[in-house]
Amino acid sequence: MKNLNLKILLVVLLINAIGIFTIYSSVFPKQAAGNISTYVRQIIWVVISLLVLLSVYHLDYRRLWDGVYFIYGLTTFLLILVLILGTVRLGAQRWLKFLWFNFQPSELAKLATVIFLARYFSQKSISSMETGARHYGIIEGILRPFLIICIPMLLILVQPDLGSALMLFFIFIAMLYISGVRLKYAIGVLLIFLILSPLFWHFLKDYQRERLLVFINPNIDPLGAGYTIIQSKIAIGSGGWFGKGWLAGTQSQLRFLPESHTDFIFATFTEEWGFIGGLSLIFLYFVLVFYCFKVAAKTKDNFGKLLAAGIASMLAIQIIINLAMTIGFAPVVGLPLVLMSYGGSSILITYISLGILLSINRKRSIF
Amino acid sequence: MRIKTTQIILGVLFLSLVLGLFYIQILKAPRYIKLSESNRVRIIPQPGSRGKILDRHGMIIVDNYLSYDIAILPSETKDVDKMLKKLAELLDVSFEAISSRYKRDLVSTSLPVTLLDNIERNKAVMVEELKSDLPGVFLQVVPKRRYPHQRLAAHVLGYLGEIDHWRLTKLKDYGYKTKDIVGYTGIEEKYDYYLRPQEGGLQVEVDHQNRIVRILGFRPPTNGRDIQLTLDLEIQKIAGQCLKGKKGAVIILEPNTGEVLAMTSFPDFNPEWFIKRPLELKETLSDPDAPLLNRCISGVYPPGSVFKVITAIAALQEKKIDIKKRFYCNSSIKIGNRKFACWDKHESTNLVEAIRYSCNVFFYRTGLLLTGRKLSEYASRFNLGKTSSVDLPEEASGYLSSPLRKRLNRFQSWFDGDTANLSIGQGDLTVTPIQIARVFAAFANLGKLVRPYLVKAIEAEDVSGYQQRNIPLSLKKEFFEIVKSGLVQAVEESDGTASIVRGCGVRVAGKTGTAQVTNRQSHAWFSGYFPVDNPKFVITVILEHSGSSINACIVARDIIRGMKDAGLL
Repeated sequence: MKNLNLKILLVVLLINAIGIFTIYSSVFPKQAAGNISTYVRQIIWVVISLLVLLSVYHLDYRRLWDGVYFIYGLTTFLLILVLILGTVRLGAQRWLKFLWFNFQPSELAKLATVIFLARYFSQKSISSMETGARHYGIIEGILRPFLIICIPMLLILVQPDLGSALMLFFIFIAMLYISGVRLKYAIGVLLIFLILSPLFWHFLKDYQRERLLVFINPNIDPLGAGYTIIQSKIAIGSGGWFGKGWLAGTQSQLRFLPESHTDFIFATFTEEWGFIGGLSLIFLYFVLVFYCFKVAAKTKDNFGKLLAAGIASMLAIQIIINLAMTIGFAPVVGLPLVLMSYGGSSILITYISLGILLSINRKRSIF
Repeated sequence: MRIKTTQIILGVLFLSLVLGLFYIQILKAPRYIKLSESNRVRIIPQPGSRGKILDRHGMIIVDNYLSYDIAILPSETKDVDKMLKKLAELLDVSFEAISSRYKRDLVSTSLPVTLLDNIERNKAVMVEELKSDLPGVFLQVVPKRRYPHQRLAAHVLGYLGEIDHWRLTKLKDYGYKTKDIVGYTGIEEKYDYYLRPQEGGLQVEVDHQNRIVRILGFRPPTNGRDIQLTLDLEIQKIAGQCLKGKKGAVIILEPNTGEVLAMTSFPDFNPEWFIKRPLELKETLSDPDAPLLNRCISGVYPPGSVFKVITAIAALQEKKIDIKKRFYCNSSIKIGNRKFACWDKHESTNLVEAIRYSCNVFFYRTGLLLTGRKLSEYASRFNLGKTSSVDLPEEASGYLSSPLRKRLNRFQSWFDGDTANLSIGQGDLTVTPIQIARVFAAFANLGKLVRPYLVKAIEAEDVSGYQQRNIPLSLKKEFFEIVKSGLVQAVEESDGTASIVRGCGVRVAGKTGTAQVTNRQSHAWFSGYFPVDNPKFVITVILEHSGSSINACIVARDIIRGMKDAGLL
């Protein structure tokens, strides 16, 4: 099934190329001479990540089964480290400075969560050749895994990075569902979350509350918290069918749209390429997610199967939340658009995840 | 494991994203395209200057000057108070003055506030040079109205102000918008369409911080069109000076064309106050004497004896009397069971003498011969009770009663007493000074009712052809001649009622009027024309509550004498 791997890689590179062109466009007016341009850095990251992907691809993904505690420990360590040593940017302490780049441990936490849950839910399968998850009770099926992922989640929440913390939670729900835990448990967790969500209001920071309020009505603070989402909608809406053309999007070129090359890159892209462009990009993402699930579906090994499905849903959830937020269908949470947004950690972790996925596809015939 | 269903759920989510994208990008596109345009495109308006107003000889009555104004954009200034202090020091003005003005005029921090008007040129240059030290402060060059003659002809000109809600709703379709400066009353209002400049502007593209990125287009402003009036500045000045201090109005017309040569009303105002807004404006607006009212066209008075010329010509035309017909005046006459008085005992008079002495009894009797219906009909022929359609806004029509109107409006019968009252210009009859001037213009030109007008040319294009509308009255010329000899005698004979107007160095014909008002002093009228042989000017003077008509005659005399001395005759 090398063919499927090639297809996945092709789609990934295609989306990445589109991303680089969009980053080029969005930083086009603000390029300062002498600095390495943002898009060049992104290219470097893609190249590095591609090399990492290939080496991960050649490793046996089953080593992750044994390495789960190490990965979990490393992640927790880095998350604690970031709270102590991390650089504060945009009001949040999310980045760790390594040598010459800033690393975001919360990105790693997403992958670590997927790996951990994949192992947890496929554990009993060794003896019974059947996923044990469906026979789990509440404690085994929900409370125990939840408590374990709660540690990185809370660490991320205090950074504060609501978006990534929510990502971990959604990954948990998705894996819970996919692993075959009783449906009423998965739905119950989701319902409890929804019912309790008003309580979280008190734990939110002011800016997070504002973001939620402006999601309901952006016009309550059009120049403050509502500014980004209004400008994002204007950028997308003014694109029309065919867009304003590359390098010609006024919203991003004249810098009305903040975060135009990171979280809101989809707005930049659709302003310049229109509905046709936006539709094509969403289609590419769908194809990518679809292929990833195909890998999961074909894998016999429960750990591999769950790992592949987890990676696929991790990508899908990130993509859907980011797009919904950019269109104005979800509150603004700081989540990058996978493979499009500028940012080394996101690219690297995405490529590593995909590397694991491709490796599962390579190895699955063995079992 | 539930991979298939997960795929379906995610597929549905992706599909809804596509639908959401479609909704925003296609269905809502027009709205967002507009918003995106308004994000990036700004118009920097460039005001044009309003058309000038000239007199009949091309002398400037109103023009414009370039005012250098200092304005501040609060949103661009960090510490407004500090900036105002700095400005006050720099420009040598009091900090309190500009700071109180700032507080008064501040609407929103994103709108500029004008702090100082019309600063000196060198100070303007200074501010422009120090621009980088004064963030948020900028120089505006605005053409503004200049009134070199101040109060002169203020009522004819009108004044300028920001457009009000009522006018805006009415004029929106004609390209007017909020904050536009428009004319109020007078020529400024009536000819606002011609006078108003077409605002030009610089269309620029700005970035998120409102910094100009590039210029997209430029449309130069178009200045308003100049308007030449029929007014004669010199005559207007004389009339204005002679009326000064007396509540009333003076109109001078050209009797053959209807051109208004002078039109002045007192109390008056200075149109400049509406731009500079000093304390006087407040007083003016609350003054019970209504200085803003143009009494020439909006003041409504009983005409009194000046109306008698209409009674006279009507009776002659209807052959009720002739030149030889005499009535005896015993200082009063009993009509019905009421006594109608004359102001003196004139004994036997004919028509010419009756005009000369302004004998009421003669006209009571003449009126009774004519009947009230006929009298009212003739007055109506002279357009009393209707506007003169002079090209000014807010003209009043006055009121002319008739037996029919009395029945319809007041549900009362018409009595002989009403006829008697009407025949001497009292009773249920009110007129505006311009209506009386028109009547006397018809007597001066022997039979044409002219339409008075003020605008002679718009942007050097003569419009008098459209303006002149002479209505022939179809009354015999010889009858006008008879009335004329009465009017001449009234002035030239020493016992004539208007004899004060004699000796101006020009022969004048005219009639006085003392219009009685209940409980207050009478209004004084004088209306006439000169030179007698070839009338060039019709003059109508009214002084409110001035008692005797002599006062009106004095004003008329002074004006005519002044015109003679200035060599204007």
